[in-house]
Amino acid sequence: MIADAIALWARLAGAQLRSQMQYRWSFAIQNGVLAAVVLADLLPVWILSRFFGSLDGWSFAELALLYGMVGTSWAIVEAALRGFENFSVYLVQGDLDRILLRPRAVILQVAAREFDARKLGRMAQGLLVLVISCLVLGLDARALAWVVLGVAGGMLTFAGIVMAGAAIQFWTLGQAQELQNILTYGGSSALTYPVSIYTTWFRRVLTFAVPLAFVNYFPALAALGRTKQAGWPEFVPWLSPFVCAFVLAIGLLAFTRGLRRYESTGS
Amino acid sequence: MGSLRPYLQYARLAFQRRAAYRLANWTGVAVNVFFLLVHAQVLLAFFRAKPGALGWSPQDAVLYFTASEALLMVVGIFPDYRFNLAERIRTGEVVTDLARPVTLFWRDVAERFGTALYYMIARFPPVYLTGAVLYAVTPPLRLEVCLFPVSLALAIGVSAGLWYVVCSSAYFRDTANGELSALVFVNTVFGGVFVPIDFYPSGLQAVANVLPFRATLYTPVALLTGKLSGAALVFGVLHQAVWLGVLSAVALWIESRGLRRLATQGG
Repeated sequence: MIADAIALWARLAGAQLRSQMQYRWSFAIQNGVLAAVVLADLLPVWILSRFFGSLDGWSFAELALLYGMVGTSWAIVEAALRGFENFSVYLVQGDLDRILLRPRAVILQVAAREFDARKLGRMAQGLLVLVISCLVLGLDARALAWVVLGVAGGMLTFAGIVMAGAAIQFWTLGQAQELQNILTYGGSSALTYPVSIYTTWFRRVLTFAVPLAFVNYFPALAALGRTKQAGWPEFVPWLSPFVCAFVLAIGLLAFTRGLRRYESTGS
Repeated sequence: MGSLRPYLQYARLAFQRRAAYRLANWTGVAVNVFFLLVHAQVLLAFFRAKPGALGWSPQDAVLYFTASEALLMVVGIFPDYRFNLAERIRTGEVVTDLARPVTLFWRDVAERFGTALYYMIARFPPVYLTGAVLYAVTPPLRLEVCLFPVSLALAIGVSAGLWYVVCSSAYFRDTANGELSALVFVNTVFGGVFVPIDFYPSGLQAVANVLPFRATLYTPVALLTGKLSGAALVFGVLHQAVWLGVLSAVALWIESRGLRRLATQGG
């Protein structure tokens, strides 16, 4: 069942990949650039850490760890579930009707619909930052387990967010696309820095409303053994997997509800 | 260049194309404000470790990102992937352009100015006001600020030149999407989008001061926030003017060669 689902996704994604390879040169540059863009994300962190020393007690390597965790998980979700990001187009132009006609899971078809191999470059770069920062920080097995847990949780959380974002399109018909980008692109750049630096209300939003802090901040605190020092009880990082799974559940639920409500544009 | 009238029409159409999507502009405002909050808070947090670095007060840091997020769309840091020369060449629409008595480069410049005017009216005021009210910062009322409109116009021109030169590789290879994302990358790295160029390490700063990219966002923003005066101000505006001249000359040269090479497709 799951193997079938993955095979179907791979087939659909492969078709997308072949169509993108038609413009070979453009494909190559874009992949190279996207790998570099991650460095562009990290460059300001490096410049500022170099100029000011540290940020609220976090060294550059530790900030890179935060970035690597959130960057890797977002890049994986972005590559694997890209169709949800452009979901409004399928709604407005009627592609969703075609998807619904096929006897396969809607979520899988939407997910693989715009598989973008160019995002693979991004993923590789995020992973590279993550691995290097783990090596530089000399993390032990227990700490690495926390890092892995954070990345896994990040995948669940971002998947939940893109699905919930797509679900909102059933009601707004695509006009709220950019709001979803705030949570995904914006959220992942905000999380490049420790949540503790933000003002109270902003921090609360990132911890409780859209619980992105559970993707990298709390697992990183646990990995570095700093949970207490940061003023949180020791059990908080342990909540991460549950919170992240909860976000995914909400996303799935919202999307299936939206789908049930869907009436075609009718053209 | 011929008569000015067709270009004014192009500018007007570009303006109207944006004005048609009113809700999209407001979600765009939300995105800009979000990033304003993130960047401003990050720089404020860094400043807590080293107050008054480089003679910048925390207010200066906030004002810099308020102005840069408000002007981001005006000067066009992010290219339009749907409406650009490369896309017209790929789809074959460029054929109708060629039937008209216009220079394609000046058409792009006109469209850029039309778009910029729209964003100056619809995007700049709400983003700027939000930043100014949230952090209670006021722009410094200095004589140099009178030069801001000149600097902004030069910035829009340079940005049009950069886009055109980048898109023009489509004359020879059908598409330029890879090159366009490369432009976003160098623009953000060397244009002072995430970190004011002042904080760059000296080597990187020297490179950024030679390249054209600071002419699009950094110079007008630094001018508006009172961070450019005396020799730095003269250099900034001259740097913009020189690059505008160079890019226009290169663009026109490429156009004369590219049109001879162009083989259109489509039916």
